[in-house]
Amino acid sequence: MSAATSRIDESSAAYVYGVVRGGDMPSIEAEGVGGSVVRQVERDGLAALVSSVPKQGLRVKRRDLHRHLRVIEEAFAATTILPCPFGTVVASTESVEHDLLLSRRDELLSAVERLEGKVQMNVKATYAEPELLRQVVEGNPEIAHLRERTKQLGDAGYYDRLRLGELVAAALAGRRRQDAERLLPELAQSAAEVVADDEEAAVVKGSFLVSLRELGRFDATLEAVARREQPLIRFEVIGPLPPTAFASAYDEG
Amino acid sequence: MAIATRGTSSNYLQRAPSPSGLAEVIDVILDKGLVVDAYVRVSVIGIEVLTIDARIVIASVDTYLRFAEAVNRLDLAQTETAGIEELRGGGGSKKGEGVVEGAKQKLGERDSEKERSR
Repeated sequence: MSAATSRIDESSAAYVYGVVRGGDMPSIEAEGVGGSVVRQVERDGLAALVSSVPKQGLRVKRRDLHRHLRVIEEAFAATTILPCPFGTVVASTESVEHDLLLSRRDELLSAVERLEGKVQMNVKATYAEPELLRQVVEGNPEIAHLRERTKQLGDAGYYDRLRLGELVAAALAGRRRQDAERLLPELAQSAAEVVADDEEAAVVKGSFLVSLRELGRFDATLEAVARREQPLIRFEVIGPLPPTAFASAYDEG
Repeated sequence: MAIATRGTSSNYLQRAPSPSGLAEVIDVILDKGLVVDAYVRVSVIGIEVLTIDARIVIASVDTYLRFAEAVNRLDLAQTETAGIEELRGGGGSKKGEGVVEGAKQKLGERDSEKERSR
């Protein structure tokens, strides 16, 4: 263990799940990370959801990732929460009070206000790949020609195959860029904020912050877009989720 | 917070109220959220090394050849055929499992590092 971490007394360290407005949450029933009890540390109108770190230290188990999320989801069902990333440990509950709730009070309160009444919808759109490849071959004479040629040449056509693969890769990348540019703004219409993730395997992958008032509209747009884009593109949506992608106060206003 | 029931899933739009698979959970909670400046990540947590790389690296000779193979095997007259899903080392449904295995492996490595450092 490094010097920096060995100075921490793990028995007084606090695992932090997130921050809510004080008095908003009666109590958290869900089990915390490591099977611990989740409690609240309150200070000046804000409360952090914390649990103790086991004496023997924390070992990440798959179950703990789910526990972290369950705690946040339980709070989210009752109130507005600023969720912390998994694995956030503060040296002590005093530090939670002073360095988090007290020193960052204004920033946290305005973030809570910004996220109030809003939910996060995670959308991922992926290509049905045989269909995509078919369109790429049919829409590109050079690819179609090389495809026929390499089929005839077999192993002898190494450089032709390389060229074919390169052209296909470029066509796919171009297609993906076009589709993303087209779909992202359309889906974002009824969202307050959007965080787009860059994932090469997806056409569009992003988190949309949607107010509850707009949720029906967001969903109807998604439904219409997904229906229109089939069978080439398939959509997945997870939510309503707590606003994990929007809790940082990096862009206020 | 009262949240209206969503519509049903279809073949073009899958809906889930909450992430279920480990990869999805990781996607929601790992690097996202309120970053606490004065935080400390107790060394045994080992989140820093839990990196997920499920991306396809496009710019490589090997990948080009596999793309070529995928379009060559494509039967333009039929619907069901081999696709670039195979480039990911399995069908689409298996992708998540791969990520889970990767994450588990990383966590396992981290655990053994921890044992050694004691």
